[in-house]
Amino acid sequence: MHISFLIFSAYGMGGTVRTTFNLAQALAEQHEVEVVSVFRYRDKPFFEPGNGVRVRSLVDMRRRSPTYDGADPEHAQPARVFPSADGQYARHSALTDRRIGAYLAGTEADVVLGTRPGLNVHVARQTRRGPVRVGQEHLTLATHSARMKLLLSRVYPRLDAVTTVTEADARDYRKTLRLPGVRIEGLPNSVPKPQVTPSDGSGKWVVAAGRLAPAKRYDVLIRAFADVVRERPDWGLRIYGHGRERGKLRNLIDELGLYNHVFLMGSAHPIEAEWVKGSICAVTSSLESFGMTIVEAMRCGLPVVATDCPHGPGEIIRNGQDGLLAPTGDVSAISGALLRLINDDQLRVEMGRAALTASARFDPADVAARYEDLLTSLAGRPAGALRRARGTLLGGAYAARETVRLGVGHALEGARA
Amino acid sequence: MIHPSLDTAAASTPDVSSPPGRKLQRPRADCTAHSDGSLTFDVRLSDETGKKAAAPEADEHAAVLLRLRHHHGPDASLSLPLARAATDGGLRATLPATTWLREGRWDVYLARTGEPPQRLLPGIPDLRSLVGGALFDAHAWLGVRIPYTTKYGNLTIRTWVRRPHAEAGTLRIDDATIALHGTLYGAQLSPTACLEAHPRDPAAPTVRVPVRPDQEEHPGRETAPQHTPGPQHPQRGFAAVLPFNSLLPGRQVWDLWLRPSDSEDPVRLARILDDIPDKKHVFSYPSRHVASPDGTAHAVRPYYTVNNNLAVRVRYEASVKEE
Repeated sequence: MHISFLIFSAYGMGGTVRTTFNLAQALAEQHEVEVVSVFRYRDKPFFEPGNGVRVRSLVDMRRRSPTYDGADPEHAQPARVFPSADGQYARHSALTDRRIGAYLAGTEADVVLGTRPGLNVHVARQTRRGPVRVGQEHLTLATHSARMKLLLSRVYPRLDAVTTVTEADARDYRKTLRLPGVRIEGLPNSVPKPQVTPSDGSGKWVVAAGRLAPAKRYDVLIRAFADVVRERPDWGLRIYGHGRERGKLRNLIDELGLYNHVFLMGSAHPIEAEWVKGSICAVTSSLESFGMTIVEAMRCGLPVVATDCPHGPGEIIRNGQDGLLAPTGDVSAISGALLRLINDDQLRVEMGRAALTASARFDPADVAARYEDLLTSLAGRPAGALRRARGTLLGGAYAARETVRLGVGHALEGARA
Repeated sequence: MIHPSLDTAAASTPDVSSPPGRKLQRPRADCTAHSDGSLTFDVRLSDETGKKAAAPEADEHAAVLLRLRHHHGPDASLSLPLARAATDGGLRATLPATTWLREGRWDVYLARTGEPPQRLLPGIPDLRSLVGGALFDAHAWLGVRIPYTTKYGNLTIRTWVRRPHAEAGTLRIDDATIALHGTLYGAQLSPTACLEAHPRDPAAPTVRVPVRPDQEEHPGRETAPQHTPGPQHPQRGFAAVLPFNSLLPGRQVWDLWLRPSDSEDPVRLARILDDIPDKKHVFSYPSRHVASPDGTAHAVRPYYTVNNNLAVRVRYEASVKEE
């Protein structure tokens, strides 16, 4: 098969880029795979796209490039296909509409996958007849606005499949959106086997990594670690990542007098080299649409203490076997779980080994095989266009009711094709 | 149908990777710090697969070349021969624990016959043996080598050579004092040992406070050293309390030193025994507001210099607000 991913920017350093490249590379072992980046902000992608994966872009945003598109007057016109309900609406334009539309109308791919709702709308509306159309959800339905949900309920019936990164979110899609004839599958993000040998569980460090963003709730982790330090002052906490919460977290560390125990490390690349220096990973988010760092740490042999927040952690960690789950925001439950692993060397090492074994199911080869099954069965479905036409009609009828149910009036502005 | 503008866009943004005939990427080196104190460089000539590239044939003189930045001369360059590793047949060079390297930043190159040395990119580092602050008593001096990635993305080794050495540990800052714990290597603490604060402005007098022996567990460190300190590296925990008012008044930076005894030279207090090349932004301490006897408001904050030496900065409050 010829498989084409459509992504906002293949040149960034976000989770979507990383997981798309992981999947693309694994699929490229058997298939022809390209990643089409709407924007190009740098000369080279931050992450290696991987063997045999073609990367190309549609709109050149490098100011010094001879083909710089940022000054094109068309780029100053608002987008009409890319929906205003998508958070990246402001970056898109009539120019991106046209370039994406041209790519989708002319693609020779057998399968086209969009990687965020706004791009999935493009895929649903503009892909030529023939290719299988898949919309990937890397966030969650629950975090979308009512306006976005309504839009998706009207447009997604034109897709062949929607993939989510958790089963929980797939259930949400089935229950909330009612997309007749559209396959909805929970397919997790993949994480390759690290190139470092796993942690042996002897280092006295708890490690956390991610953007220093409010939803990561590093304040909760730091407060929990204050309890840990009272009992085990020989242990430390390293937090990797940058973000706008840094100043606040720095102040909290100073206020709690934890500056000898808790360290804001900045970002590290590759992060696997940092995981293996620790013995426990901590994730105390209030929301994790998947939980990439949990899998990364497990693949490095670390047991993870995580909050049981929606949606990912509970599907990745088997509580008590390869990690520990604590209620979201519960400082004493989190410190209790950390201390349980800190105070019991044998338990920590055993859980680390279990994490190493269990996390192999997130290997790109395994996840790609599940994608392959899905894509192959969709490509073989008869009369896709007819079924979709029917789905679209039904979808429209559902959407009319949804308008009332989701409490939205004028939902489709910015989404006229 | 392909839209003309798409054609243009696609043509102007060629493939990042097209397997046949692609340009060879710059070589990388996976740096591993071993528990015996040695550092190995596993050189990968291409990053495509993440696997070790086959060694170039017939280049018996291939080497990893270390060059001390901003220095010239015989001790500012070191060549480490590359050989096939017994384990996986990849190219490996070893920097033994016993090799003396000057203190500084050593840029890492790949040297091949008939080619100018090529700067190496960092691969996957494995520095976990450095985290616990383990020490190796193999030589008469204390050497630290931490591989890191420069801001331009290249591989460099940060080195320190100290003897004796005073390693700064935990710092506790209250309203009036800094309580410091540390470990002295390569010298004995005498009853006359003291902590000295040397002002950058030589007009101000040196401040001295007594030092007492002390043992304290440091977060993330081995409770017991992996290698028993030998005669060359006697080690001794110490503690000292530095009152803020001894550093007032005035705007000043104070460098902290430990003098083991009246008859010995002071030893610079630094934090170098781990895996973090630049302490300045990681080991950060709160600022305290202190008034000098005449009532002038000052802000006092300990910090690590760019060389990981411990210092205390005193500023007038007003100037703090301006910044």
